[in-house]
Amino acid sequence: MTSWRDRFNKMTGQTRFVVCRLFLHLGGEQVAPLLGVLNRSAQEALESDGDLNVLGEGLVKICESLLQYDSMWASAANEGNVFWDEGEAGDFVQELFTDSSQRYMSEPDTTASSEQTDLYAPATRNVVVMITVAYEGEVPALETDLTKDIAIKEGLKALISLHYQEKLRAVQVHFSPARFGDELDPDQLLLNFPELSPL
Amino acid sequence: MKRLPTWKKFTTLSLVFILGLLPLASCSSDKPDTAAINGSQANRAQQQAPTKLADGKYEVQQATFDDGTGVYTAFLLNTTPPTFRSSALQMARLTPEEEKAGEKGYLKVTNGQAALHIPEKFQISYVHNVTEEKTNAQTGQKETVVVRQESSFWTPFLGAVAGNMVANALFAPRYYMPPAYSAGGLRGYGGSGTSYNQAIGQYQSRYGSPPLAVQNQRALRSTGLSRFPRNDSASRSMQNNRSTGSGYGSSNLRRNNDQQYRSAPRSGGFGSMQRSRSFGGMRRR
Repeated sequence: MTSWRDRFNKMTGQTRFVVCRLFLHLGGEQVAPLLGVLNRSAQEALESDGDLNVLGEGLVKICESLLQYDSMWASAANEGNVFWDEGEAGDFVQELFTDSSQRYMSEPDTTASSEQTDLYAPATRNVVVMITVAYEGEVPALETDLTKDIAIKEGLKALISLHYQEKLRAVQVHFSPARFGDELDPDQLLLNFPELSPL
Repeated sequence: MKRLPTWKKFTTLSLVFILGLLPLASCSSDKPDTAAINGSQANRAQQQAPTKLADGKYEVQQATFDDGTGVYTAFLLNTTPPTFRSSALQMARLTPEEEKAGEKGYLKVTNGQAALHIPEKFQISYVHNVTEEKTNAQTGQKETVVVRQESSFWTPFLGAVAGNMVANALFAPRYYMPPAYSAGGLRGYGGSGTSYNQAIGQYQSRYGSPPLAVQNQRALRSTGLSRFPRNDSASRSMQNNRSTGSGYGSSNLRRNNDQQYRSAPRSGGFGSMQRSRSFGGMRRR
């Protein structure tokens, strides 16, 4: 799918930036432990003050866990764009951050039922992970339709390699629900992630 | 790259040639080149689009480097526009032959990639930004605010051979990161590489943290997360159409802050979101 413009820009030695986002929805009884991996990576990212290397390592761990949970993949979606202008890519990354974060409540109402601290927490049966990255160069495994098992596997592996190749320029991870004990029910899933298509 | 048939090669090459000439005609209007940054303007300067120059060789009178933005500004002789500004500038030392021939330093643009060729003792003015980190209350994003600026100078190639670099590599254009700031002038480099990221990586492994400009560029965002674990008592059965969630992200990409992309069809939620060059299995209504 190399367009004329692609080829021309490549010839003139310009840097190709790709920004892409992958939605992966996992369903089943055993998905909740994944939230531990996600939260740990989030904490590490915050503690490092956004060091891309640390975020990249976190991304690797997340991708590896997702690969292990492959039997629970339920639906997926992805999108992306190629940029020849770094600034435009940067803008798009920010835009995707805002879009991803609008799909969940980041400030849950803690006043509602704070009196109960029950030991029994129903484990969520749904987890959605949104991964956005920006990288330099061309990675065919990511720049394609990722709504098939095999394609997602290749895509996740490609994300892992991008970190080791030091080509990542932006890493974003969003996930819903936030913690063990929170629930993402089928209605919320349908409402906030309409683009997911079943695997 | 795949091998192209000869006629195709010829057409693309001739196109490169024709298009290469175009900027010469069109870039006569020079932008104001006030490089001075006051107060919290660091980010704005960073967003200034890099200057585009047609391929060729330009004599350089002077060069400055701003460590808050990582942007080089080269002052060119007999060229319009008279300044060249870029953060992705490669550098190389003049070869002994060139120095013998009386070369003073020049900027060479090849295929749109600029490289500054300078003599060993060439001093680049170095603008050092003393910064403080603040969190923007509106966006929740960390911002670096420039408190004051100091000026110094940087001689990237002075004494550089003493390092572990093969002498030959000095004469080929590479990306360089200045060494850690010192008021009395900077010598040598803090990192170098054939790619910008590699140079940053080398700097980081030496000093433990990335160069200031990269730190400034880096924008950490997060939602639903706090540095300290929350008291675990949030409600679980919320009557809400959204579940809970968290997100974090960091990027070292420059930003244009261009409205065009933010108001692209996607945010409206209707119309086709077919951007040119988009891919993926996501269909929006």
